[in-house]
Amino acid sequence: MKSKTEAEIIAELDGRRNKIVSHNGGWLPGKGVFIHGHRLLEDLVVNESYMQIVVLNATGKKVSTELGQWMEAIFGCMSWPDPRIWCNQIGALAGETKASVSAATVAGTLAGDSRAYAQGALIKGMDFIRAAMAKVESGMTPQEVTDTEVKANRGKPNIMGFARPLAQGDERVSALEKLTAKLGFAVGPHLQLAYDIEEALFARFGESMNIVGYMSGFLADHGFTAEEVYRVYAVSVMSGVTGCYVEYADQPANQFLPLRCDDIDYVGVGIRSVR
Amino acid sequence: MSNSAAREVKRRDDVFVEKTQTKIWLEKPSESNPYIAETSYCHGYEIFDLMKNCSLVEVIYLLFKGELPTEAQKTLLEQLMIGLINPGPRHAATRAAMNTGVGKTNPVHILPIAAIVMGGERDCGGAIEDTMRFFRKNFRQPAEDVAEQIMATENVEDWPGFGQIYGGRDIQTTRLAETLLALEGAGDIMQWAANYVVALAKANAGWLPVGLAAAVFADLGFHPKLGGPVYQMITAPGLIAHGFELYTKPLTSMPYVKDEDYEIKN
Repeated sequence: MKSKTEAEIIAELDGRRNKIVSHNGGWLPGKGVFIHGHRLLEDLVVNESYMQIVVLNATGKKVSTELGQWMEAIFGCMSWPDPRIWCNQIGALAGETKASVSAATVAGTLAGDSRAYAQGALIKGMDFIRAAMAKVESGMTPQEVTDTEVKANRGKPNIMGFARPLAQGDERVSALEKLTAKLGFAVGPHLQLAYDIEEALFARFGESMNIVGYMSGFLADHGFTAEEVYRVYAVSVMSGVTGCYVEYADQPANQFLPLRCDDIDYVGVGIRSVR
Repeated sequence: MSNSAAREVKRRDDVFVEKTQTKIWLEKPSESNPYIAETSYCHGYEIFDLMKNCSLVEVIYLLFKGELPTEAQKTLLEQLMIGLINPGPRHAATRAAMNTGVGKTNPVHILPIAAIVMGGERDCGGAIEDTMRFFRKNFRQPAEDVAEQIMATENVEDWPGFGQIYGGRDIQTTRLAETLLALEGAGDIMQWAANYVVALAKANAGWLPVGLAAAVFADLGFHPKLGGPVYQMITAPGLIAHGFELYTKPLTSMPYVKDEDYEIKN
């Protein structure tokens, strides 16, 4: 049941008309631009990377140069200019129609908000590793956590963060492992648990950790929540989409997988008349 | 820790179809060019036949359901579409459209931008699926009992499809619902929802546009996941109209919060 009366709500709304109270920041001409108490132009732009500013805007957290560099690398890992991937194909199709590059990039990026892949999958990956850690802390072994999850998935190994569409294995994990070592980060408890689960899953199904699993373990160790990670990586596939857009926007019409009428398989009802 | 050999990349043997299938549309090619369609058919009806003999609403229904609607279904959908054609200039999605317009963004971006906002889960298309599933789950129970239960256990902001606007009842949507309920096409779900809102009046709550649309879609037999996109489509004309109205006006044609009314707490 609601806790406020209609009159209280009206009074509260009246107090917000034409007025903004921001905890995140804003621009006050003559005074400066502020993000979570930091000065954008005098401090952040001079001393921090773009990725550090992205994380600050998305989460309110100020991360180190090294962590910013690590988190930025994920954008690189997601930037595959292969137009067969669903979000990228939208970029290529928008190139075909000569939609604007902004529209194409946004449209393809939005497609990555999927329950099967890209940024849409991050929440599930983060939630899984955090829940798995809670189970381990309450006494289960990583093997038991894995078996329970597989059982809940009707015997299938498709735990978010482990296994992936189209291929087994994930070359991005090795790249990130190198970067983790280069930047001097240790393997924390969530990432270690992800490795343990990978081992259990590999022994039974030959499936290994994918980039979501690695990211989820690493970023959970650095104190990020699922929602924070989703917010930071909302547009993580954009560069690959743009790449697919420009290739086809610069070509004559109908160069991207042209379809003849009979390339579409009509399986509907037969021809009929309204009257 | 597994070694990296465990992560060696091997393509799966997923079997993808050779051709995309559709039950919706048939394009018959011209004899001389297989890429050029000579005639198109929507669920079996030639497009010219539909143009000559059907209304726009009938063809929209045909696209989504695969069959032409009955007269009662057509009238129900058409009246809902008119009733909800414009969420009005205070709705967040319309305001997004107006910001797009007044900001001189390319007009072809007005609809996609506004439709994204209209896909949200609060008073937008994103709430329809949950509401339709709520009907499926509950409509065999007395509406009064379901209302009592929801009023006792859940915050009014979390009720699927029904509740309050600005702390009170949505008067216009209540009137729209009464109008639609009088139509022959109004079915069991709308009637159940009407009983449900009678009970919700106790909490100064009732119909919301998304609840009304969800009830109509349920009675028309739409899939719950289709509800959100159809809601975006229904509201699209209003979004475009308001966005474009401001496109032709100066940047200063919408309020801009003054610095003294912008407080940064940090």
